[in-house]
Amino acid sequence: MKQVTKNSTMQTQMQGSFAKPKKRAMLKNSSIPGWLFASPWVIGLLLFYAFPLISSIYFSFTTYSILQPGEFVGFKNYSDLLHDGLFWESIYNTIYFAVFFVPLSIIIGIALAMMLNMKVKGMSIYRTMFFLPTLVPHVALAVLWMWLLNPGFGLVNGMLEVVGITGPNWLGSETWSKPSLVLMSLWAIGQPVIIYLAGLGDIPQEFYEAAEVDGANWLQKTWKVTLPLLTPVIFFNLVMGAIGAFQQFTLPYTLTQGQGSPANSLTFYVMYLYDNAFKFFKMGYASAMAWILFVIIMALTAVIFLTSKRWVHYQGK
Amino acid sequence: MQPKMKRNIQRTIAQICLILASVFFIIPFLWMVSTSLKPITQVFTFPPEWIPNPFQWSNYVDATQYIPFFTYLKNTTLITVLSTLGVILSCPLVAYSFAKLEWKGRNVMFAITIAVMMIPMQVTMIPLFLLFNKIGWVGTPLPLIVPAFFGVPFSIFLMRQFFMGLPDTLRDAAKIDGASEFRIYWQIMLPLAKPAVLAIGLFQFMNVWTDFIGPLLYLTDETQYTLSLGLQQFQSQKGTEWGLMMAVSTMMTLPIIILFFFMQRTFIQGITFSGIK
Amino acid sequence: MRKTRIKLVKCNLLLLLMAFAVLVGCSSEEGAGSDNNSDSGNEEGQTTVKFWHPMTDTSGDAVEEVIEAFEKQNPDINIDATYIANQGEGQNEKLLTAIAGGNPPDVAYFDRFEVASWAAQGSLEELTDFAEDDGITKNKYYDFAWAEASYEGGLYGIPTTTDSRLLFYNKDHFDEVGLDPENPPTTIDELEAAAEKLTIKEGNRFERIGFIPWYGQGWFYGWGWSFGGDFYDPSTNTATADHPKNVEALEWMTDFAQKYGVEEIAGFTDSQGDGAMDPFLTGQLSMKVDGNFGVASIEKFKPDLNYGVTPMPTPTGKDHTTWSGGWSVVMPKGAENQEAAWEFLKFFGGEEGQKIFSETSRDFSVIDSVNEELGYKDDSIFSEFINILPKSNARPVMTEGSLYWNELADAVENATRDNGTPQEILEEVSDKVNEALEN
Repeated sequence: MKQVTKNSTMQTQMQGSFAKPKKRAMLKNSSIPGWLFASPWVIGLLLFYAFPLISSIYFSFTTYSILQPGEFVGFKNYSDLLHDGLFWESIYNTIYFAVFFVPLSIIIGIALAMMLNMKVKGMSIYRTMFFLPTLVPHVALAVLWMWLLNPGFGLVNGMLEVVGITGPNWLGSETWSKPSLVLMSLWAIGQPVIIYLAGLGDIPQEFYEAAEVDGANWLQKTWKVTLPLLTPVIFFNLVMGAIGAFQQFTLPYTLTQGQGSPANSLTFYVMYLYDNAFKFFKMGYASAMAWILFVIIMALTAVIFLTSKRWVHYQGK
Repeated sequence: MQPKMKRNIQRTIAQICLILASVFFIIPFLWMVSTSLKPITQVFTFPPEWIPNPFQWSNYVDATQYIPFFTYLKNTTLITVLSTLGVILSCPLVAYSFAKLEWKGRNVMFAITIAVMMIPMQVTMIPLFLLFNKIGWVGTPLPLIVPAFFGVPFSIFLMRQFFMGLPDTLRDAAKIDGASEFRIYWQIMLPLAKPAVLAIGLFQFMNVWTDFIGPLLYLTDETQYTLSLGLQQFQSQKGTEWGLMMAVSTMMTLPIIILFFFMQRTFIQGITFSGIK
Repeated sequence: MRKTRIKLVKCNLLLLLMAFAVLVGCSSEEGAGSDNNSDSGNEEGQTTVKFWHPMTDTSGDAVEEVIEAFEKQNPDINIDATYIANQGEGQNEKLLTAIAGGNPPDVAYFDRFEVASWAAQGSLEELTDFAEDDGITKNKYYDFAWAEASYEGGLYGIPTTTDSRLLFYNKDHFDEVGLDPENPPTTIDELEAAAEKLTIKEGNRFERIGFIPWYGQGWFYGWGWSFGGDFYDPSTNTATADHPKNVEALEWMTDFAQKYGVEEIAGFTDSQGDGAMDPFLTGQLSMKVDGNFGVASIEKFKPDLNYGVTPMPTPTGKDHTTWSGGWSVVMPKGAENQEAAWEFLKFFGGEEGQKIFSETSRDFSVIDSVNEELGYKDDSIFSEFINILPKSNARPVMTEGSLYWNELADAVENATRDNGTPQEILEEVSDKVNEALEN
């Protein structure tokens, strides 16, 4: 998984001005400093991650219930899951959410970050405002959304009515409940936006000036300068967004009081996992679910990492 | 003259867009603040009223008496500040090694770092609890603080992405001058990454400040409780004390807003070339 | 320019850190101080009983009063009470981990519904011998409360509170459409007729809905029993969700959903779970099924609401019933000071403790005479709730109670949304729960 990028022509041109010497061979040295630098985390992994992770693999082959060790049952938990209707439903819901949420959060996040990167008066106040929804507690967010999305008197349908559209029943409808949740989740986009902003700040002004000299317009500058140089943070947000979307839990759980209503259309994977682990005393089963989820996310992330060589450009190289 | 006018028009359009978008994003916060100033009977009137009438400032006083607010605030501050410090110390160091140093096993370790984030905490929290129980840390804030000093995968990954953007030329030059790896990191690379360090610090601060399940599991004495546990006490079977709860929520978000407001300029500014230009 | 700014930020951060450090210093001193206090309260010969409870508000005050009275009578026992968020109603992470870690409290305030499954997991201390020695028997308590605190013939908890579910109706609305506010519906047919009269629809949108069977506390257990069905056969340890009468009840609910349009209704039920947003309080819903705790939220948010309560209608207009839940006090497995803990359980569940608790919390006692003494039977609203208690049901005492509950809630959603026939859906519920029971 070497992260050396094949520089695009654009980038090579740009980096030409920095006249970077490529004399890596003479600087090759031992692995010791690397391990030393990484040692806190290596120790941390061994201390705080190794045991819980290995235990959960073991639990996934048992009927562990937290209160009782249970028996070893081999792959029974895994094979039972294949016949569990709600398991499949929760996978469908989760993938549905991820497929819509992750790309949307990236597009909207970048758009917002670019807006917030303009040189306009009072920008620090605007930036703070975009950050605010992430600070409101989930219980409050849940209630507020039920209010805004209420088909009868909610603000959203009220506004749709003004333009002549009869709004749907949002959270009351099996069809619209997941889109509603995507909408809600997009509200709390503050964290990725900050990361994009930091990435934007990273882009040297010289590149834009050079592009302007070449007569590039705004769109060309965005496409040829901004986006390529933003790819390292897009990559980060894509990976973290996918991991987060597949582990979606708190908001839908609070919103539906754990029921996943209507008709399990908001029962997400980790919600069902949680119920098994803590309500039904099936921690073994829940652990099996966790490791299946691991395989799914791992496969997805591996694809992202493998393709990243083609589209992620690190300025430092 | 003409480009100036064009620029002015652009600015105005930008301003309008920004204002419209911020109205959308400020709704939840306004609702929280407005609810925090309402008497309980007014919280759910139909149609919704945004401006409390009258302003019930006493909610703030009542809320701090309903729960031992200042004790919880102190506890939350202690845990949050220390664990943020831990992340700021450990994560850049580890991330630097992933981004800029070459060592055997680096890619495997990095893959593991990403992989541990993929297992939902719901299944690892029990064995982790048993681990802390064994070493006698349950009932103390240590499980909420100490692991941060060993690194947090999210922050390591983020820092790594930023270090990847720092030019190798800097490192190579210092290397030729005979600087040690740690000096290069401490005196050249880390100062350049300061904005990113602030960003991971802020995220850690936010996460720990609002963390619920950690304090729930590990703190067993009410004098050690944090604000997010306090927030739960406004809910009961007989309904929620919305006004008081939102008053506490508002007070809880203030430190983060202030922190963010003052830090955003810095950490949004360029990282890579700020020191080279 | 930038450099100075960074420096400034640095200074600010440093100042902040210093301020925090000062705060931290204070807090650690205070922490130490309070530790000393609790130790000094531990006089010689005194036993400390650790007690975890999730009660806040008036119930929290009630807990404190019970403890105070108990400590006065038992000077050698000191109750160390701690508020624990998320304890009960299926969320017991903290208690679970504490028991698993071998470090539980001596007493926990516990959702009675979960006693059986926790007892089956061997995570509660059996209280049968304690009770026998002290002559505590089921005679004192409502049948269902005692049954729910027991598992396979052993006693695992002492019941403390209970509740019941009735039909709430808005008297003003009844007047308005020409229904007799003193003669609320008693049969399902009357209920349907009243609901139709009370409903106001404008275009596609409801201005007001007469009744939504599954709204509020209209869980399927209540309707199943009201239709004469049953949910569990203890002799064979099997779930009987597909009892013909249950199927009838679900068919009725499904018809109701089709008649009014389930998605249109859903807009009203969104807010389920919080008293303040209750459409019954805002006048958008004329009748609902709710528990006695619903009275408290009416008193709090809409004290001038003109409403009445009556038993849930049945097909025949006779044999009215309901179901009750409630809380208990238990001794988690591994409790250290069992003798002292038992004294506290006994006091909490005895007449004296019950009276103190119920008087302050306004939760019903599990002892009929206490409810009478506190005047609940004289209150026009509360008396209805109390009077039905002797005929009330408890949810099945079984190891898969939480699964069964979730499955039934899903069953209602799926049936009313046409994702299968009631018969099929309830058969699936039985199958799934029975499969889990066998394991």
